[in-house]
Amino acid sequence: MHTPRLTGWQALREQPWLLALVVWLPPLMTLLFVAVFETGAPQAMPVGVVDMDHSHQSRALQRHLGASPALDLMHPFPSALAGAEALHRGEVLALLIIPRDYGRDLLRGTSPQVTAFYNSQYLLAGKFIASAMTSAGMAYAAQVGVTLRLGQGQDLPAAVAAAAPMRPQITSLYNPGMSYARFLVTSIAPALWQILIVVATVLALCWRLEQSTLPRQPAQRCGALWRLLSPIALTLWLQGVLMLAIFHYALGWSPAGHPLWLPAGLALMVLAVQSMATLILALVSDKVRALSLCAAYLAPAFAFMGITFPRGDMNTLAWAWGGLMPSTHYMALQVAVADHGAPAITLLPPLLMLALFLVPVPLAIRALPIKLASNPTEQVSS
Amino acid sequence: MTFWQRLWQAWQAELNNIFTDRAVLLVLAGGILFYAVLYPLPYQRNVPGEQAVAVLDHDRTTLARQLVRMADATPQVRVAAQPRSMAEAEALLISGQVHGLLIIPAGFERDVYLGRPTSLSFAGDASYFLIYGNVVEGLVTAATTLTVQTQVVSSLLKGENPARIPGQVMPTRIVSHPVFNPTGGYINYIVPAVFVLILHQTLLIAAGSITVKDRARRRLGLTAPALTLALPLRVVTFVAIYLLFAMLYFGFFFQLYGVPHVAAPGVLLAYSLLFFLTTTLFALWLGYLLPRPELPTVVVLVSSLPIVFTAGFAWPADNLPGWLDTLSQLIPAKPGIQGFLALNQMAAPASAISREIGVQLMLCLLYGGGLAWLAAKARARDAC
Repeated sequence: MHTPRLTGWQALREQPWLLALVVWLPPLMTLLFVAVFETGAPQAMPVGVVDMDHSHQSRALQRHLGASPALDLMHPFPSALAGAEALHRGEVLALLIIPRDYGRDLLRGTSPQVTAFYNSQYLLAGKFIASAMTSAGMAYAAQVGVTLRLGQGQDLPAAVAAAAPMRPQITSLYNPGMSYARFLVTSIAPALWQILIVVATVLALCWRLEQSTLPRQPAQRCGALWRLLSPIALTLWLQGVLMLAIFHYALGWSPAGHPLWLPAGLALMVLAVQSMATLILALVSDKVRALSLCAAYLAPAFAFMGITFPRGDMNTLAWAWGGLMPSTHYMALQVAVADHGAPAITLLPPLLMLALFLVPVPLAIRALPIKLASNPTEQVSS
Repeated sequence: MTFWQRLWQAWQAELNNIFTDRAVLLVLAGGILFYAVLYPLPYQRNVPGEQAVAVLDHDRTTLARQLVRMADATPQVRVAAQPRSMAEAEALLISGQVHGLLIIPAGFERDVYLGRPTSLSFAGDASYFLIYGNVVEGLVTAATTLTVQTQVVSSLLKGENPARIPGQVMPTRIVSHPVFNPTGGYINYIVPAVFVLILHQTLLIAAGSITVKDRARRRLGLTAPALTLALPLRVVTFVAIYLLFAMLYFGFFFQLYGVPHVAAPGVLLAYSLLFFLTTTLFALWLGYLLPRPELPTVVVLVSSLPIVFTAGFAWPADNLPGWLDTLSQLIPAKPGIQGFLALNQMAAPASAISREIGVQLMLCLLYGGGLAWLAAKARARDAC
């Protein structure tokens, strides 16, 4: 039975949802995440200040901290209690308490401490505030140190050298601006793209099986699936390339290594995810349950790919579960190519892992049901 | 037939729709338990452990070796290699054997003792943020400790007044303490928010697809109880089921994972009730918009990551573009997550979340009204 009309192109024409998943949503979603992280790094985080000293020095410290773009210190509180309440309410994300006699102790050289509490429930924002406060506080301390030494009669060069004898130079490798946008968008977008691939593939297969029976003969069956899935795979692969282009133009991301490795990785990833989608549908032979399994399988992919939490620090089970997702291996490839500019020998293992996902394809194709009944009592034809 | 008999029949029909639907049961029974185990799985070790770094020591003196030992002694860093050249060090970084690099310049010890400024270079692999933060924290701690030691020694050698030394070495400092999540652990950070999201998303799938199928049956004229009974009963049933799940999640699983939870049970129950009511109305409204029962799952799958990053816990909501912050308030999960975190993790009084409660109430009206309108339209059409 030759059915040329049951191609992927036809599926895209007939199914507005499939069209959205394959054509509109991928670039829109990438741009959405570019918009989410438009500030690059957290900015102007609200910090409450309880100044119990009201001295020249306590105000100078606040000015120093306030100059950091990450911190917004315009939230004074009359007492520690009022400040703590605001911290509980989430009005401020940190609370700085400057003790009484801070200015006097600073001039006497008794090394007064300023206490800061930061909201670590919002861990990313909290840690960011803590490190911004520490570095701004150290800069202020160095400046005060010079003033103190000058006051004690040391000459300027000696005072400057003594105030900061070991100057730490911190270089962030591979992400020069320390931009959260680059770091997060370049890993969230592939995770979401993977979800779009798996959903689109399941929906396209179900559409095909609802339209007409799948040939039983292996060669014809492969041909029918090829006509159905290759246009979708090609479009989704182009979407992957477009995603990398958006990284480049919107985030200033440019791969350190040879950029052609990435389209190769994207192509293998599309095929790997399509292979898994076919296998899942073959296992359950039901559209809704297949999608539920896809959700269970790939929805948490972002957490398992080792970007926000190192894969080396996961337990064996989490590490293995992460290994069962194509996105994990694609991200290993993308980090190696784009950030490390790694040599080919480092790139082969993730590519091989992606290729391994193609092993169950013959089994999945054989096990696909020949037909799915579209149940009129379950859908509202529009 | 009395009103109560019709009510009882309608409720039986609703329960029957839910508990004979294998796809919905898969989500309600399997999904709820599976996700509760799966999502916290990557973070079981909670705080990332010691990260391997390489030290490129151009100085090879006692002080340099002391710095290396101090770095190794910090909980964040383990000195795994001492390469001889920059090329060797880069190869280690690229292969992922180490995630950071400390470069000690030649003449380091001499310069420190002569009081000349020297610079130590730290480099961390910033493609992995958490690793980077830990490596830098460990290396800076080691360098600061050593700085303080050498400064104290050199000040004493110069015969300075010992009483003044603390002020000279460290004129002032900010000591920061984490609150609400004292260990800074990932479980406490991710689990409370993601659990609310899991409840929200599974509720959308289950109640949404039940509603799509119910609409299809009504359209075919298959006997079904009146919509004015069926819809309120469906809302009540799902809210009741999800209150049980909330007890399982916020009670049993929080206990299991050691997540701090401090809200008074009554307040938590009241806010859960409001949250599930809003979410169920949203789910039923979606069920009236979407034509096929698999589409709620598609919507949930595609929307999960955007919700995670606009809900305000993973990324500060103040930093979102204004239009996106407003738009994302339309999804009950956002005020839900913010309200639950404030009440249960940050010990806020109920009055502190009046904004979230207000948003939930408005969403209730919006989706409840939308649902009533769509249902009335569908009933008029089915009657023709």
